[in-house]
Amino acid sequence: MQNIEDVKNNLLSQIAASDFPREILKSSELKKLYGAISSMPVEQRGIYGKSINDLKIVLESAVLTKETEAEDLSVEQIDITAPFDVNGGKIGLLSAENGSSHPLTTELENVINIFTRMGFEAIESRQIDDDNHMFGTLNFPDNHPARDGYDTFRTEEGFIPPAHTSTMQNRILKAGKAKLEADGQIAAVSYGRVFRNEDIDATHEHTFYQCEGVFVSSDATLGQMLGTLRSFFEVYYGQKLKIKTQPAYFPFVEPGLEFAIEKPVALGGKPGEWLEMLGCGMIHPNVLRSAGIDPEKYRGFAWGGGIDRLVMLKYGIEDIRHFESGKLAFLRKFV
Amino acid sequence: MIISLNWLKKFTNIDISVDELAELINTRLVEIESVVNISEKYKNILIVKAVEVKSLEGSDHLSVVKINDGGANHYVERDENNLIQVVCGAPNITSGQTVVWLPPKSVVPQTFGTAQPFMLDTRNLRGVISNGMIASAKELDLFDEHTGILVLDGDIEPGTSFAKEYELDDYLLNIENKSLTHRPDCFGIIGFAREVSAIMGKDFVSPDWIMNLNPYFGEGSGNISIVIDDADISDRYQAMVMTDGDSKKQSPMILQTYLARVGVRPISAIVDVTNYLMMLAGQPLHAFDFDKVRSICGDNVEIHVRFGREGEKLELLDGKVIDLSSDDIVIAAGETAIALAGAMGGANTEIDESTKTIIIESASFNLYKLRATQMRHGIFSEAVTRFTKGQPAELTAPVLGEAVRLVREWTGMQPVTSVADTYPGKRERQTIKVPLQKVDDILGVDMSILDAANSISHAGFGVKIEDSLIMNVEVPYWRSDIHILEDVVEEIGRINGFDNIKSTLPMRDFTAVMPDGFDIFRNNLRRTLVKSGANEVLTYSFIHGDIIKKAGQNPEDSYRLINSISPDLQYYRQTLMPSLLSITQPNIKQGYDEFALFEINKCHYKPDGLTDEEVPLEIDRMALIFAAKAGSGTAYYRARRILEFIMGDLNITYKKITESNNPILSPFEPKRSAELIGANGKTIGFIGEYKKSVIKNFKLPVCSAGFEVNTLELFNLVKTVGKDYKPLSRYPSTERDICFRVNQVINCGQIIDSANEILLKTDLESSIEVIDIYKKESETKNVTVRIKLVSYSHTLNGDEVTEVINNVVNSVVAKLDAIVI
Repeated sequence: MQNIEDVKNNLLSQIAASDFPREILKSSELKKLYGAISSMPVEQRGIYGKSINDLKIVLESAVLTKETEAEDLSVEQIDITAPFDVNGGKIGLLSAENGSSHPLTTELENVINIFTRMGFEAIESRQIDDDNHMFGTLNFPDNHPARDGYDTFRTEEGFIPPAHTSTMQNRILKAGKAKLEADGQIAAVSYGRVFRNEDIDATHEHTFYQCEGVFVSSDATLGQMLGTLRSFFEVYYGQKLKIKTQPAYFPFVEPGLEFAIEKPVALGGKPGEWLEMLGCGMIHPNVLRSAGIDPEKYRGFAWGGGIDRLVMLKYGIEDIRHFESGKLAFLRKFV
Repeated sequence: MIISLNWLKKFTNIDISVDELAELINTRLVEIESVVNISEKYKNILIVKAVEVKSLEGSDHLSVVKINDGGANHYVERDENNLIQVVCGAPNITSGQTVVWLPPKSVVPQTFGTAQPFMLDTRNLRGVISNGMIASAKELDLFDEHTGILVLDGDIEPGTSFAKEYELDDYLLNIENKSLTHRPDCFGIIGFAREVSAIMGKDFVSPDWIMNLNPYFGEGSGNISIVIDDADISDRYQAMVMTDGDSKKQSPMILQTYLARVGVRPISAIVDVTNYLMMLAGQPLHAFDFDKVRSICGDNVEIHVRFGREGEKLELLDGKVIDLSSDDIVIAAGETAIALAGAMGGANTEIDESTKTIIIESASFNLYKLRATQMRHGIFSEAVTRFTKGQPAELTAPVLGEAVRLVREWTGMQPVTSVADTYPGKRERQTIKVPLQKVDDILGVDMSILDAANSISHAGFGVKIEDSLIMNVEVPYWRSDIHILEDVVEEIGRINGFDNIKSTLPMRDFTAVMPDGFDIFRNNLRRTLVKSGANEVLTYSFIHGDIIKKAGQNPEDSYRLINSISPDLQYYRQTLMPSLLSITQPNIKQGYDEFALFEINKCHYKPDGLTDEEVPLEIDRMALIFAAKAGSGTAYYRARRILEFIMGDLNITYKKITESNNPILSPFEPKRSAELIGANGKTIGFIGEYKKSVIKNFKLPVCSAGFEVNTLELFNLVKTVGKDYKPLSRYPSTERDICFRVNQVINCGQIIDSANEILLKTDLESSIEVIDIYKKESETKNVTVRIKLVSYSHTLNGDEVTEVINNVVNSVVAKLDAIVI
């Protein structure tokens, strides 16, 4: 056994010095070690065989490192300050005709633009957060069954890739508290990427985009919430729309609703066809309280909905998986 | 959850169509996923009498049966006695039985609505005519029953419609459970009916037994005692011992059909009572075999409600043996676990046909603990689904009272003594003061106090109006979800219909909202990149550890998910480039020969540490990869050309790579890459070609290069560079080209810097750019620069221009040992 260690050290130093390190893997010393297996007592073969395999892995990795180093050494230095190659001449850009922005970012910009014009500030959502922002400050006690609906991922440290953009709500409320108490309103949207531990298919993704809105004032009402949402969708689709709601349960709002619009003409909608767009409701007093806002003096409403679906409906995209596929065949449909 | 319309109608009068009802429930209670009409399934099926049964000649199992259908079917042949002939293969058929007949042209309910519905016919079986068939419970799509055909009890007139007799002319409403997470009461038909009544604007009359919180359980005590070891785990535990009855008895057939249609398998009268009441009231019950319990812990039966113990195991009713956790709530007889509380009973105390004496348990458990248990052991029974909604402790007594009554009625068992009851979690009934003004303020309505009060009193709330302005609302015991004023306001809004609330808009002043500067910047950056011909991608934030390694980064520097969907999505990416590297080759393969992909997104690098809020620092990045399948020449310059296009006026310095622990640098080959330094001296990012190993690992074309920058640093830089506009000069400009022959080790940047030293000292506006680099001999190269000069005060004459150019030439020649040619 001690023999293996010697062979290892010897071969490693040979590899370090060699210009053709891969040759050393064929050395007779190594072959001898392999050869010895058959003459061993059966019960020792397992352990012995494993140490030889380990040795082989170490050597191969050393050869690879050495080869890579050699390759890297052979790389030619270039003049990084030059605008183009020696004897090369000026370079053109790629054809501007092929350039495209991603339909999700285009749409997100469009959505935020409307909300900005309506008076909402826009804040990008975090992509990694803690339990307290994701659940705790939103009136989800530990182990609350409503947490099940969110299928959250977790990191080793216990951080959470947010499953909704509401993860920003406590921050928005805290940041707006002074303004609220001075002149009476918090109006903000948070937008960005969210994550759910879900199997993916044509209509489900584990990574998608949401946009969330928060409004707090001394006299906010559920009627105002319905009006605000209707107004957004009427601007977004450029037509008058009917709206409809459905009772829903989200611990961070009270009352809580699902909000639907009559399918717009632009999407081929006929009367009586409805599209569920988002969840919404009056902000639960505990949520205001956790941001230090007095629920006796102020009330608010909040909503959140997916962006991917808006885009899929708008363009008739058949498979949500295209979005994050990085396929030019898809991306260049949006040039 | 499935709600049967006929079952609902037993508790509330429904005088609207099923479609109208579904719409009303949808908008005011809960989403209905589908409505299924099951009456079609049982169309034409009749209850008949088997008058005569003879075995079929030449067959060891078939019988020829003559049935009496009371003349109800008009399409089959009859014998002289007006009887119909059916061949039957069931071993349990005998004459005199009341059975279910599927006539010709009817469809076997089990196959109804499937891809291959089986339609019956009149057939010739071994020379004997057989009309339709006599059905088993399974064929009737009720429940699995292997003993043979379904035999009905009681005196039912032959020819009675099967659907009519058992109320199977029914609609089943499929309810989306998720939005009832907080409504334990709606997980029972009675609670659901109460809500339906309220949203139809009607008073609801609850069955007496469910309102009776102190039912009479009989006299005496002592056969069992109950100890709740930790008051947090169970608010109340009640148990009743009953004995001396027929435990083999079945529950009434109609009840079995009700259980079956909502997905519960009828088993025996005792088990059916527990399931029936669970479906009715949302309170799960459990029955133990008392003698088995006694054999475990002796005659002094002490039931413990406690946590599981280390190393403790329990075999459940379904045969699975589980390792109990110290977080599971367990029911124990003495020291031995006999049930996983709220989730499933133990096999060691299961009731069976020989059971003589039973314990019926009616209890409530800590819903958070049960939820953890449910997740840990993967148990999703009807019982645990209800327990985890937090059903109230008050409910255990009325339901147990009704259970005792039904068990007595259906099996003849009698209570041995009175109930054993431990009730540590008793709570005061809640009264909430709700000023009408609050209702109006929160909902944005102008409601009369009577409308507000009526709506919730229909749903069982007690309402006392004070000074015509305030409602004192007494919360009924089954509404354990109602705690604060807002909860009551929600009920008023919901029951009256949120859609009846007029939508308005909040008031706001004319102050403009300024879009965030960084957002505007990123959008501009995106547009510029698109103009350069690049395609924006979005790729997952999570990547495979191997991708990280292949890009030369260390997976340990990434945040790792412990419950990722697959290894492909296990690590947060540290930079964007690895994602772009991995989608390049697939696009080449798809036939795209030359392209640039870019992404603007957030990245997370563990060594960057946490923010003030103790959450990981997020870095905004932008990365681009350029790839050309058959590209020749140096890819670095192609990428640099794009970078110059988007950052041309920022005076970025391209600095030679020195040691850096920036993860952006990892995939880049230092000899063919540059660090990008802004005019403010800060590193913005890196540009370059990739290491040989990276090219190999990602199967990149040789001609590929890219850059990645910190978007926020770039934004900060852009903010410092003012867009200083200089008026146009009224005088013409002059251009001169100079060609320097320099040693090949001299780089273009050095020539420009030396020239600029002179140019920036003049009072002229000047610009300089490299327009040609030519190399023939091995040791030198010729670099041609174009200098443009313009004065704001006069037209430059030849001498002036020559003087400046000579100074530039002298400077470059002296500094770089150049020759002008």
